[in-house]
Amino acid sequence: MSWFGPVRTATGGMLRHKVQAVVLGMVLLVSTASATLGLALLAASDAPFQHAFAAQDGAHLTVTVNPARATAARLAGTRTLRGVTAMAGPFAEATVPAQWSGQDFGQMVLAGRASGGGPVDDAVLTAGHWVTGPGQIVLDGPPGGGGPALGSTITVTGLKHPVNLKVVGFANSITYSADGWVAPGQVAGLRPAGAPASAELLYRFADAGTEAQIRADLAEVTGALPAGTVTGSDSWLAAKSRNTGNGAIMEPFVVAFALIGLAMAVLIVANVVSGAVAAGYYRIGVLKSIGLTPAQVVVAYLSRVGVPALAGCVLGVVAGNLLAAPVLHQSAGAYGVASQTVPWWASVLAPAGMLALTALAAFAPALRAGRLSATQAIAAGRAPNAGRGYTMHRLASRLRLPRPVGLGLAAPFARPARTLVSLAAIGFGATAVIFAVGLSASLGRAAGYQSLSATVPVEIQQNGPAGGPGQPSPTAQAAQADAAVRAQPGTAHATTVYEDQVKVPGVAGSVNAWAFSGDSSWLGYGVIAGHWYDAPGQVDVNTAFLTDSGLTIGDTATIDTGTDPMTQVTVHIVGEVFHPSSDPTLYGSTRTLPGLANAGNLLQWDIGLRPGTSAASYVQALNARLGANDPWQATTQKDGGQFYTIAVGLVGLLALMVAVAAGLGVLNTVLMTTRDRVHDLGIFKALGMRPGQMLTMVVCWIAGPAVIAAAIAAPVAVALNTATVHAMAGTAHTGVPADVTQVFPPGRLALLSLAALAIAVIGALAPAGWAARARPAVALRTE
Amino acid sequence: MIDHDAPGDVIRLDGVTKTYSGGGPPALADVSMGVAGGEVAAVMGPSGSGKSTLLNLIAGLDRPTSGTVTVAGRRIDTLGESALARFRARHIGIIFQFFNLLDDLTVEDNVLLPAQLAGASRRQARARAGELLARMGIEEHRNSYPARMSGGQRQRVAIARALVNSPEVLLADEPTGALDTATGQEIGRLLRQLNEGGQTLVLVTHDPDLAERYAARTVRIVDGRLAGAHAGVFR
Repeated sequence: MSWFGPVRTATGGMLRHKVQAVVLGMVLLVSTASATLGLALLAASDAPFQHAFAAQDGAHLTVTVNPARATAARLAGTRTLRGVTAMAGPFAEATVPAQWSGQDFGQMVLAGRASGGGPVDDAVLTAGHWVTGPGQIVLDGPPGGGGPALGSTITVTGLKHPVNLKVVGFANSITYSADGWVAPGQVAGLRPAGAPASAELLYRFADAGTEAQIRADLAEVTGALPAGTVTGSDSWLAAKSRNTGNGAIMEPFVVAFALIGLAMAVLIVANVVSGAVAAGYYRIGVLKSIGLTPAQVVVAYLSRVGVPALAGCVLGVVAGNLLAAPVLHQSAGAYGVASQTVPWWASVLAPAGMLALTALAAFAPALRAGRLSATQAIAAGRAPNAGRGYTMHRLASRLRLPRPVGLGLAAPFARPARTLVSLAAIGFGATAVIFAVGLSASLGRAAGYQSLSATVPVEIQQNGPAGGPGQPSPTAQAAQADAAVRAQPGTAHATTVYEDQVKVPGVAGSVNAWAFSGDSSWLGYGVIAGHWYDAPGQVDVNTAFLTDSGLTIGDTATIDTGTDPMTQVTVHIVGEVFHPSSDPTLYGSTRTLPGLANAGNLLQWDIGLRPGTSAASYVQALNARLGANDPWQATTQKDGGQFYTIAVGLVGLLALMVAVAAGLGVLNTVLMTTRDRVHDLGIFKALGMRPGQMLTMVVCWIAGPAVIAAAIAAPVAVALNTATVHAMAGTAHTGVPADVTQVFPPGRLALLSLAALAIAVIGALAPAGWAARARPAVALRTE
Repeated sequence: MIDHDAPGDVIRLDGVTKTYSGGGPPALADVSMGVAGGEVAAVMGPSGSGKSTLLNLIAGLDRPTSGTVTVAGRRIDTLGESALARFRARHIGIIFQFFNLLDDLTVEDNVLLPAQLAGASRRQARARAGELLARMGIEEHRNSYPARMSGGQRQRVAIARALVNSPEVLLADEPTGALDTATGQEIGRLLRQLNEGGQTLVLVTHDPDLAERYAARTVRIVDGRLAGAHAGVFR
């Protein structure tokens, strides 16, 4: 017998069941898209900085030089130094104060580059174009996020006549070689009067993997140039460390979602495919009775699911790539790299894996179909095994529930395997949704602790050089700013913050010391353990400090402040503070850390406002009081940063995809069950079951498993959220305050658990509606 | 003889035509007839003649393409699906050839189901089910499952289920078709007893013996049309 006939027969069978074919195709589409996205995200989270650094020929070392000290030839000659594999520059640069939209935009390092490309530090354009002449600027970083956009104007202040620069592009320098790039000829005109000329040289070396190697490389360059030429340097390892602060934090939840998505895709595809084949048993029996061999049956039913599966996989990989593009654009922004793309192997592996899974899932039931006798196949295709679920029906009939509800709740026990798969799919979907909401809340709290935006809506920071010629001394300027703050109506709290580097025995390198003048208890730092200092002699520290020093809360430490007259103080560590950084940091009052409170260490004022005071109005009024020429200017605090915005968006998208896949899984299960039980549904209707009662009963088929799924998903999501937040915090070198993970009060968790029911009901509504609308006579005739 | 527009009809069909989608000749063509309360009417005809279609239309399981169907004084061809289901639950009992019992429910739960769907009180429904099971002689099987019962017992369960809401009309589609002769006669006698108690009964069968023995009137359908000397009339 020809093989074409059986295949055509089976395909005809599948085409006859168009809805099932469409659902199978849809599930494969969503699953393949999820798998493609999951694999792409996994690849993106794998050492993104290192990959981008290699792709963009990142600079191992950025050396700042005074071009007045060495000729262009001497500078260019460093290209041939031992160990140098590539060099770019010198690029003239200027450090300038800038404004955007009338607001302080901080100090910017602007470099003059005619193009973004080159042998070192390929600054990849992510939007717009490179500068083509004076008056234009390309900014480092991704566009959007509430900052300047293409066409915005950046104003360079601190000059006799401020210079406007139009933003014409955004680019990514993997080692942050500059904050922006302008036409080379414009740099000199942007330098504040009296500022020395400066230029940057970018190097790649044969050996630059460690700090020691970088130091040796720097020494080689410094030694080859006249004394005083090299004025500063920046290592790629520092950039890598800064990048890791954001990028690696993403990895745990990206991996968590990718694994949930993949696991659920496997589960649902297996369920759908095996169900589709099993649903064809009746037809198989008929075909066998007219002479199909077992082998032909197997081939026929593999091909039965093959056509919609193949279509779904092909469309899925296309959809996955389309979906991945914006997601990877976001993740690239969070990882601090120029761009990320779907690796080719993800576009091959995802559909191939799903097709293999489909074949595997179809093979077992197809093989069973091949072995069954014609009468057995017909019987198996008509109804579930007799006896299953009878007891539950008996129990349900004893409950004082509306009869359709009782019938619906007992029905899943007739098909325990199918019910378990549905339960798992709903469980995965609900877990993803609860986890996503929890993670967003946790990230929100972490962002709040990091920015202190809830308690400190306004900060005053330095916006220009203090104590310049003809200006009051920095101390006097600080005193003026302090007086202005305290005189400003609406000020509830104002704490002066000083920062300096101190030494602590047992900690290699320096320790950041933050000294607060006055009451600081209102600032709202997130305390991981212990408490915020409340007496002289007490300090809080961040996790990196405890890790590096080996000290614990309750220990004492000797701090060398390096100041005069008191250089050493003994402090008592009373708390661990949330501060995501690998740099050890301690916090105390200016009374505990004497000598730090001087104008040179003045970092900022943290300001709390009285209730009802608008932060924007306050900032405007205070800046008017300070005057435009005052180096200290007030700014509003923004909640979190781009990382948190991107992370929360990504979490939402991933959760939505998992929930959609779960809903499709439910739809398929209910569809298969309505097909199995279509004759029973006809009987129910003949006995007077109304469409509303039918809808209720069919929805209740899946409601029971959904409630169990919710009961499982809720604690799993809580545990997953806690583990993920701790993993994220671990990569950011910090612990987390307890309330960052305590984002599920019982009421909210109960409400979120309804996600399981929502997924189940939404997934079941369509087939339940079909069942409710079906004519009883038609249902009774259908087998 | 009962004329098709006699005022005492419990069931009335006027100019009913039923055509299924997909083309082909109508399954029923311009059928008009009536059944009086308390009568047993048999509908006979060869396979595919339209007997079951006629029964489905009277039961409200399907809708006519044209014409009107009035049962228990209510025109049902214009009712919505919910109203139709409610009407069916309260006014019509159906007995099927292959019983159409729900295998995963006990005998008692099968019988109770229409009452529960109609919103009857739990106590009343159980009492009525117990009474019917006793009347059908299968009370001891109330906790059994249908699959473990004989064909005759199953059909008794189906009859009990059809009667649980005390319907005005009982429709039986080949009620003895799946039973051996002796059991079929038992079921026939049971149906006659019900009719003697005043139950209106429409019996679809192609067993002339059954029709002759138990039905007061017989109508024949051929190719979707009422046939014989008294087309349009039950006799």
